[in-house]
Amino acid sequence: MKRSEPPPIAAWMLEHCTAGDFDEALAGDLCESYSSGLSDGWYWRQVFAACAVSWSESLRARMPLFVFALIWSMMAPAWKVFTDGIESAPIFDRILPYFGPVWIFPAAAGWLLLNSIFLWTGICVFILFSSNFRETIRGKVLRRPFLLASLIFLPIYGATFLGVNLYWYSFFPNAGFATTPLGQIADLRMLADVIRMPYFIALLCALWGAIPRSIRRTQLRLVDSPPTESSTEFDVLKFVSTLDSYTVKRCFGLMVSAGLINAMIAGILLCRLVELHSPTFAPLFIRAILYVIIGLLAGVVGSWLYWKNPSSLFRKHLPIPFPLFALVCASGWIWVAPMTIFSEQLSPVSAFVAVIGAIFLAVGLRNATFSVLAPAAPEAPIYESEQAELFSQSLYRAPGESHGYVITFLLYAGFCALAIRLNLAAAALFALCAFLFVWRQTFLPTHSIDRNHEYRRAALRLAYVAIPAVLVTAWALLDGVAHRNRVAAMNAAASAGSRSSTSDGAHQKAKSDSSAYGLGGYESLILWPVPEKKQIVPPLPEISLLAPGTTQPLIIPFNGQYWYMQPPNKNPGPTAHLAHGTPLGAEIASINSMPLVMDAHQTLGAAIPIARCREIQIEIENRDNRKGAIALAALLTDTASHKGTSLYLGRQPIVSTEPEHFSFKSGSVFETLHFLVPASAKMRKFDEITVMMLPDVEHALVGPKIAIKQFQLFPR
Amino acid sequence: MTNRSYLGEFELMILLVVVHLGEEAYGVPISRELEGNRGRSVSIGSVYAALERLETKGLVISNLADPTPERGGKSKRYFQITKEGLRQVHETRQVLTRMWQALPELKLDLR
Repeated sequence: MKRSEPPPIAAWMLEHCTAGDFDEALAGDLCESYSSGLSDGWYWRQVFAACAVSWSESLRARMPLFVFALIWSMMAPAWKVFTDGIESAPIFDRILPYFGPVWIFPAAAGWLLLNSIFLWTGICVFILFSSNFRETIRGKVLRRPFLLASLIFLPIYGATFLGVNLYWYSFFPNAGFATTPLGQIADLRMLADVIRMPYFIALLCALWGAIPRSIRRTQLRLVDSPPTESSTEFDVLKFVSTLDSYTVKRCFGLMVSAGLINAMIAGILLCRLVELHSPTFAPLFIRAILYVIIGLLAGVVGSWLYWKNPSSLFRKHLPIPFPLFALVCASGWIWVAPMTIFSEQLSPVSAFVAVIGAIFLAVGLRNATFSVLAPAAPEAPIYESEQAELFSQSLYRAPGESHGYVITFLLYAGFCALAIRLNLAAAALFALCAFLFVWRQTFLPTHSIDRNHEYRRAALRLAYVAIPAVLVTAWALLDGVAHRNRVAAMNAAASAGSRSSTSDGAHQKAKSDSSAYGLGGYESLILWPVPEKKQIVPPLPEISLLAPGTTQPLIIPFNGQYWYMQPPNKNPGPTAHLAHGTPLGAEIASINSMPLVMDAHQTLGAAIPIARCREIQIEIENRDNRKGAIALAALLTDTASHKGTSLYLGRQPIVSTEPEHFSFKSGSVFETLHFLVPASAKMRKFDEITVMMLPDVEHALVGPKIAIKQFQLFPR
Repeated sequence: MTNRSYLGEFELMILLVVVHLGEEAYGVPISRELEGNRGRSVSIGSVYAALERLETKGLVISNLADPTPERGGKSKRYFQITKEGLRQVHETRQVLTRMWQALPELKLDLR
């Protein structure tokens, strides 16, 4: 089926991609020819041709400007040498220090003024010697090039030199200007051309808009022709009366829909729940007001965008003023925010809220468009029994009420959607149903209403509706927080159940109160080695590393904690879930989009002097079958110092996880990673070793199945 | 020496069409008339460009009319030839006629 309006993108191009002002008459001619049955392809060809012709005409009209800008910018290198001489004058070295740290601002202003003088002189010369230009520009038009030239010069200059330095940097260190002014003007080498470029562009841009393509646009006047009737003011209602009712309704419908869709997008993207676990009413109320305003503004913007699109029939002449239209529709759009919040909680209340919004929208719109659209009040059957014989007129034919079937169907479909928990679809169906019903049943005024009165009514309606809308939004937010807490508690309970064999029951209550549940219901997790394998290591025989002549390494089997956290947390916190297990067997994953951080912490029985330790070897057991490289980083910490000083030993890749060495593992792979310990001046001893897993993106959301077996500390 | 440029072929055609259409001379009928006479399609954009040149030269004038729904609510721009335009058309015609009459009879092989 062929559309009645031309392709919107082509229409947009015609308006925005042609040089100079938008030619309304040309657009109208194309639209008229298109609606007479020509194809989309024809329209596109005409648009391309119009763009090409307009640009060629525009360039032809500005050919003198091109030539002048080129000639004037030839003098730019000479001017540059001249201004460099001024800028390097000793007086500036004495003045600028008075400005202190903000010396850059007066320096930049001075530099810009010097360059602007060159451009302004050029503009004056062009105006003096261009007779056409002088005749057509006056006052404000004349000031514009001067202002524009100064404003755009700095960004153009910056962009030119940024680009040139990026691509031709090697050329400039040895480049220089000619010594005489004439030589500088005639210099066609690269540096001189680069200097000319920003002046040339700035002059073109400054004078481009000031030159009218032709003088006719300013001389056009509105007439009521072709039969030379008297010129009259454009009558919108007269224009609308020439359109069929369907077209007018469709345009209004699309404007309202565009507003609704925009409000819904804004609602889904911006209307989030409060982060607090148990928020107070004040921030909730403020947030509710904000969300209602967001819905309203987004609706207005959506409608405005559709109204202003190039193929819009009412673009120039909306039958009712847009502010009134927006005010009327706002009483419907303000319900979009609570509706989206409820729908995100899978609550059937979203349908109820949508129905309320639809009712207010229909009532307001029906009254506001009364003067434009034909009244659609139910037609009462006319009985002519007085004039006719008895029973002769009793079998009258009832008027067709097709909308009744539509409303019934929407009701059934809405309930079906509600039954299968498609709440958003149900909301849309019920809202449409309510809108249709109210549209048909609204009592319309019998006489035309004053426009000011319409504004007052719409504003009053919006004021009355806004208060309950804010309260309902606050209710939606409260309900949302409660819903989120319920879900979190259920997740926590499910996770606790699955780990009941290894979990520590004492911490169950604490973790369920947390507000962040990224790790299967926990905000963080500490994994201890399984109790039966736990070895109690006596305090380190410090003397073994200190004893002179010792060459044997000190072996420390790992018996510390594994920490699982999510950024920005750096430690598990007091509410962390404690469990016994090993990373080789535990399935630990993030249930949200936040990455998982895994550390292994080994506390030593006594502090070891850094000066006595040359190297630390970390033996690991890898049972991870997920592709993706993982590296280990080691950190030595002196927890006894009041600042908790740390020494980073660097990172080492786990070879068995690298793509070229990766293979599916049926058993464990053991590896030893070497970390050299530098003699640190800021830290003399350490009593904790931290091993950090540094996974790639494949392991970002899961804990790698890699366990630390032991540390070997080699004496220096 | 007169400071006057001669009409181009396309501009002359457009002026003739504007004269022919009279009060109905706006973009769409002008383009259709040109297409009918030339036997090939014409871009409305190029017609407008030529009309603007003619208007700048003072050979035509234009006025905007009321918007109509079939044009998407956009106005028509009606063109009228000026006295100067009419004089130049006549002058061009006389020049062309003299030049044609001065030529020997051409035998065109149209096969």
